[in-house]
Amino acid sequence: MTQQLVVQISFALYALLIVGGGLWAVLDKSLVRALVGLILTLFGVAGMYLLMAAPLIALMQLLIYVGAVVVLIFFAIMLTRAPAGGEECDRLEPGRLVLALLGGLVPAAVLGFAIHKYAKAAKDVAGEIAPAVLGKVFLEPYVLAFELISGVLFVAMAGAVLLGFERRRAK
Amino acid sequence: MSDMVLFQLTALALLAIGLFGMLSRRSLVGMLICVELMLNGAGLSIVAASQFAGTGEALGQAAALLVMGLAAAEATLVLVIILVVAKRFGNTESRAVSILKG
Repeated sequence: MTQQLVVQISFALYALLIVGGGLWAVLDKSLVRALVGLILTLFGVAGMYLLMAAPLIALMQLLIYVGAVVVLIFFAIMLTRAPAGGEECDRLEPGRLVLALLGGLVPAAVLGFAIHKYAKAAKDVAGEIAPAVLGKVFLEPYVLAFELISGVLFVAMAGAVLLGFERRRAK
Repeated sequence: MSDMVLFQLTALALLAIGLFGMLSRRSLVGMLICVELMLNGAGLSIVAASQFAGTGEALGQAAALLVMGLAAAEATLVLVIILVVAKRFGNTESRAVSILKG
């Protein structure tokens, strides 16, 4: 019973982190503060993975997103510091705001209806698997996907270096 | 409401917030942040669906890892694209790069 309560409280906490951080990331004028909101959201999602009995994914979430992607975005903010300080200075006009709200809420409403109607969980307790099983999945039936993702990462890094060099040569 | 529906609704909230930000943000970096929010929602949804389905847990977690790898690759490329745009146009607003030249 107490365990149930702890799970519910931590779910509420993580959901609050996710939604609050997400709203902060979307609404703050300063991009650096928006990035802090994104980090909060990422931590909340990692907590959700822990609640779903997927600790390896939670660790990877922290390593890859908080460790790598956030640092990349921070570099993007730092290297392109606009005269206004990398911030969005002018206010959003109301028409655009209404359109953006519609664009966000309409797909969410459709998908929410689908979840409400069709999402049936087969069980109430999340299944837990050992990391070794996950390793077997990557190295035996899905080795092609595993290799492809490494190829994609390599091409992305090589392309980034190439574009960066071209930028410097053009100077 | 079952646990899975709660997790799915959280993922849906991430998608909605990301879409809203994508449409309302002006700078390219802000849009990149919103894309990361939406990708997180996708990963959360995939893992929740597989963890509570009773089968295919390993597959769902592997898919979430693939999403993370793709997000890292995407963030790298977008970083460089933003750098090039900043170099050529002087700022990183999406409006600055909205005109095609023949």
